[in-house]
Amino acid sequence: MAEAFAVLPCNGLDKPAGALAREVGLALREQGGALICPVLYAHQPARYARVLAGQTVLVVDGCGTRCASRLAAAGKLRVARKLLVTQACKELGESPGEALELDAGRLALARRLAAALLAAPPAVRGPQEAGFGGPVTYGQVRHDKFIFRVPTQGYFFNENNCWARVVGNRARVGISDYMQQQLTDLTYCDLPALGAQVEQFGEAGSVESVKAVADIISPVSGQVVAVNEALAEAPELINEDPYQRGWVAELELADFQSDRELLLDGPAYLALVKKQAAQYHP
Amino acid sequence: MSEVTFMGVPREQIPWAPTIDYQKCDYCMECARFCPHGVYEQREQEPRLVVAHPQHCVVFCRACAKTCDPDALTFPSKPEVVELIKRLRQGEA
Repeated sequence: MAEAFAVLPCNGLDKPAGALAREVGLALREQGGALICPVLYAHQPARYARVLAGQTVLVVDGCGTRCASRLAAAGKLRVARKLLVTQACKELGESPGEALELDAGRLALARRLAAALLAAPPAVRGPQEAGFGGPVTYGQVRHDKFIFRVPTQGYFFNENNCWARVVGNRARVGISDYMQQQLTDLTYCDLPALGAQVEQFGEAGSVESVKAVADIISPVSGQVVAVNEALAEAPELINEDPYQRGWVAELELADFQSDRELLLDGPAYLALVKKQAAQYHP
Repeated sequence: MSEVTFMGVPREQIPWAPTIDYQKCDYCMECARFCPHGVYEQREQEPRLVVAHPQHCVVFCRACAKTCDPDALTFPSKPEVVELIKRLRQGEA
């Protein structure tokens, strides 16, 4: 990475993945990253104001609790890249091990993870504004006091209540009105990493509300070329406008024709919501 | 009550549910508290945690695994399950 960067690692000293995350942080520091102590940052963020001014941040999470990501979101930091140690280990066929003290193999693994994070393609092609801003017409299902809206055309859905709006070779994905109302007020949206390859039905981030956490199951396969950064500061955009301003990620499609076979169009999804609403809100 | 289906396939034909690795599980019960669909059940006797209702598990959801500190929960391969669903749909057609 050419530009200056700061590193916010997990410092989970009581778990092997946390110890590995700390070591990745140290390796990134050797590469010129300014290290942020998550404990001090959580307690006194002003201490890092100078370090963080104008810099992008690499976030290194140890385990699925993703404390570092949450901390970065709470501080509205400009996150350039993210690493989840447990997941990255699995992808490499490695393990964080059982011990808190890292052996030579784990130390080498930490360096590999750090190098991979620095070398990751920036994928800064960015969002394609044209085509995604057009007007949307909605159908709706009423159930008791609830009204669930579903776009009638241009959107495709899976039965995990996630949508894809397809324009040319790109698609934006997000969660449906039905799902956001089930979750109630969202407090956090974990965005997928830029450049990540997502399979159909793979994860494209997750959302969290006061009530529950849910994976965003991508209706389409492809590479993440943009994420909706506004959600880092305002996850409530998903509650307010789930199908447009509340988009989560933009993908360059890998094989939409094949993906399409397993998706529902607007009217078919509307029928599914009607059925689900009847079951869950008797 | 009508049959529960996922993508047109009877849910019972889709082998999607967590598996607990009892060597790793420390019985913190976070997953059981987390899952709103009642997949897990706590028991008085060993094993104190079981996947009691695998059919309640939302196909492709792995959210409970993120609450598991010892990483004791695994799920089937998504691409394999997608392929199976495709085959079952074609068979039905």
